[in-house]
Amino acid sequence: MSLSVLRKRLFAVLLAITFLFCLFLSRFFYIQVVWDDELRYRAIGQWTREIPVIAERGKIFDRNGELLAGNVTGYSVYARAAAVEDAEGTAQALSGALGLTYAELYEKLTDRTRSEVTVIKQAEKERVLALEGLDLPGVYYARDNLRFYPYGALGCQILGFTSADRTGTTGLEGYYDRFLRGKDGEIAESADLVGAEIEGAAAAYLPAEKGLSLTLTVDARLQALCEEAMGRALAEHQAKSAQCILLDPDTFEVLAMVCLPSYDLNEVPRDDLSALNALSRNRTLSDVFEPGSTFKIVTAAADIEESLRGNPQALSVTHIFPSSRTRTVDGTTIRCWSDHKNGKHSNQTLAEALNNSCNPCFVDIALSLGEETFYDYLEAFRFGRATGIDFSGESIGMLLPEGTVRDCDLARIGFGQTIAVTALQLACASAAAVNGGYYYVPRLVKEIASDDGSVRIPVERALAGRTVSEEASSILCRMLEGVVRDGSGKNAYIEGYRVGGKTGTAQKYEDGHIAQGKYVSSFVGFFPADDPQYLALVIVDEPQGQYYGSTVAAPCAKEIFEGIISLRKIAPYES
Amino acid sequence: MRKPKSEARPAAAAAERGKGDLLFLAAVIGLAGYGVLCVYSASSYNAEVQYGDAFYFGRKQLFGFLAGLACMAAAAFVDYRKLRRCGLAALAVSLALLALVFVPGVGRSNYGATRWIGLGPLTVQPSEIAKYAFILFAAGYLSEHLAEARTFRGVLPLLAAGGCVCALILAEPNLSVTLCTGALMLGMIVLGGASARTLAVLAVPVLLLVPALILAEPYRLSRLSAFLDPWASPKEEGYQLIQSFYALGNGGFFGTGLFRSRQKYRFLPFAESDFILSVIGEETGFCGVLLLFAVIGFVIWRGFRIAGRCRTVYGYFLVCGIILVYAVQSALNALVVSGSIPPTGLPLPLISAGNTSLIVTMAAMGLVYGVSRHNGSGSVHKMDCGKQRMKRN
Repeated sequence: MSLSVLRKRLFAVLLAITFLFCLFLSRFFYIQVVWDDELRYRAIGQWTREIPVIAERGKIFDRNGELLAGNVTGYSVYARAAAVEDAEGTAQALSGALGLTYAELYEKLTDRTRSEVTVIKQAEKERVLALEGLDLPGVYYARDNLRFYPYGALGCQILGFTSADRTGTTGLEGYYDRFLRGKDGEIAESADLVGAEIEGAAAAYLPAEKGLSLTLTVDARLQALCEEAMGRALAEHQAKSAQCILLDPDTFEVLAMVCLPSYDLNEVPRDDLSALNALSRNRTLSDVFEPGSTFKIVTAAADIEESLRGNPQALSVTHIFPSSRTRTVDGTTIRCWSDHKNGKHSNQTLAEALNNSCNPCFVDIALSLGEETFYDYLEAFRFGRATGIDFSGESIGMLLPEGTVRDCDLARIGFGQTIAVTALQLACASAAAVNGGYYYVPRLVKEIASDDGSVRIPVERALAGRTVSEEASSILCRMLEGVVRDGSGKNAYIEGYRVGGKTGTAQKYEDGHIAQGKYVSSFVGFFPADDPQYLALVIVDEPQGQYYGSTVAAPCAKEIFEGIISLRKIAPYES
Repeated sequence: MRKPKSEARPAAAAAERGKGDLLFLAAVIGLAGYGVLCVYSASSYNAEVQYGDAFYFGRKQLFGFLAGLACMAAAAFVDYRKLRRCGLAALAVSLALLALVFVPGVGRSNYGATRWIGLGPLTVQPSEIAKYAFILFAAGYLSEHLAEARTFRGVLPLLAAGGCVCALILAEPNLSVTLCTGALMLGMIVLGGASARTLAVLAVPVLLLVPALILAEPYRLSRLSAFLDPWASPKEEGYQLIQSFYALGNGGFFGTGLFRSRQKYRFLPFAESDFILSVIGEETGFCGVLLLFAVIGFVIWRGFRIAGRCRTVYGYFLVCGIILVYAVQSALNALVVSGSIPPTGLPLPLISAGNTSLIVTMAAMGLVYGVSRHNGSGSVHKMDCGKQRMKRN
């Protein structure tokens, strides 16, 4: 046995060991010097436990600074099963203080498959303060904000509500969520594997940013006034629903927007989703209806304007309409709602036709103006498209496309049939007819601003287009004033005040057929007629018994206007 | 080249003993002491949470270190030549201990494997002892039958002894220590001068056996795949390796500083034992790892140097074997921690928590130091110069 063989073998083994050392040392070099940044970045996630700092949601005020939606402090409680020491005791303490089921809590606290569970969200402050004193390991608290609506149900469809995770889901809460929500902050604490805090380790704090507040165009007092009037109508006529829009015709600011029945925003009925959807939907802009006679305002405005422009097809204000009760178009017969007996509706001018709401006269106008001209006005009054209000879910209504319209359709559109509109479309079109012919974009929000005033985003009045001339508008106003003084709108007449308006009674359709005994009673009113400051559209859906707009809807408008007069101390015109 | 001094004078044997390789001794004690510090640092949080005492593991390791020092001192004064006849006995005892693990009531199970013997509050890991018993046996056998060790027939007793040890360890089950012992066995056969043909005959079954053993237990295969892409199963097989990477990555080049590991907060399992190198890498950075392995490499180099200067064939193989155990274990542990091979449970000798390993390793190192004392201090004896003496021994 040669010893040189042994020496060679020893050398070979040393070489092999040296090779192994080089192998893993180069591996250490790669991990620690080349790869280290990425590894550290990946590891940070497991080293810290983040506790959210909930941003305070922006408030919502009415146009006078009255708080409509605010916050009260609440707390969310979280638990980390692995860090809970005494699951039974902890579950008992939590169930006692928060009113939760012990069994469910115990299951949550022993569920090791989830690192963190939510015990409760948005619990009241007092309950959680009591818990904090117990110093339960593995249980964490985060400040949270509870949305609070001081007026309860007032303007509930406009305001909308937030989900449990504080996201606005409906109404303005939803539409302006990105402004209202603010930005959540975070406290990142150093923690061990199971989430237990490491003592003495630094915590990083990222403060939350408050949400911006909204100032609405809505006036809470007028909203309350309208809701009260509509509520009375709803009860009195046992109607299915009632809606009302109160606009400032000069700016198209929505002063009140009412949908009844309503619900309390502080106790949203979340259990019944279809009922909640029906209650929370803003019907004034998402539901459509056949307007009926209130639409004659638009037809009259178009005719007056065309007549002033010298269109020979237009029927002048002095034109005397034929007295017949019927018109035959395309082989179909269109009748007036009145029987025209005993000299009723005979030899009417346009003003009288409006007073009497005589359907054949508006058939004559529509047919005489012709499809092209009449559709120009429908477009100017923005039927068949959204008004552009700052709200989600607006319907564009239903309007036969130009070119597909038969004469019998055109004739019916003239008095508000064969067309479906939203209440908002009708209110805006009426306002644009009586305010001198200006169609603005309707608005619910006047200003978005931060509490400290460092951010202010005013929402300016925006002109969408012209409808008719100032002269035509003013002629129309006088005629509509006559409707209230002498015609079908008498029930809205207020002594000493110049109220204008137009009634409407439409039959409802169900599955393409007229639904017997189901009506929509409506009234568009405004005052003062020489310079309209308030325009109200009142809709009572399916009133029982009386169903004429003149008897059901017009008195509501009167009540609302009287309320405004007394609230705003508006002096009478002829005193 | 020959030194006349090598003439045998038994009476002068005592006088021949010098101070031995003090640098080797210092490096070993230094590593073990550093280990106590590292164990304390890596385990303090976990010990605080589990036992309410941050020093729980650190104190245990300190006791092990002190016991290790005592054993080391004792081993250093033992005349290693007297151990030559104990090889077979040591092997028999260690095989018995390994078998004792399977006796109900004596064996202690942990992590699904029965690897420990319980002696009251103490637990002993027989596989740690068996490795050195095998070395004692192998060194004894090779010193007697150096000429035959070239042939396949000649290495059969080594294969039989190693095979028995491996089989018992494998039954625990503990694949990593089995492979480690197997590597040791092959290493001794290589060092023993087995011919290329013999080695080739041995290589074939070994190359077949390793995949077979891995396939025998499904969990081994999933660990194997986890090592290739730990992020494919970050919560199961890949978890440990990912945590080791996080620790090493967080350490970077210079480390976070002693006691300032972030991963020891229960993220890294076995932070004080098998994966203590991850914590060291985190706290002292790549620099610290490099320095640590420089010292470990120094111990290995000095160890083989002591072997090379030894005047007896027995001493040569004894020291080579002990150093080989140390080198193989250190390298395997570093390869596991750095994700170069699939994760297995192997301690970093002298550093990792675990008293059996620490005491036995220190005792073995004491033996090596003892051999260096017999070599004579500052001696430049070479292996070949003691040819005749060797034969007589």
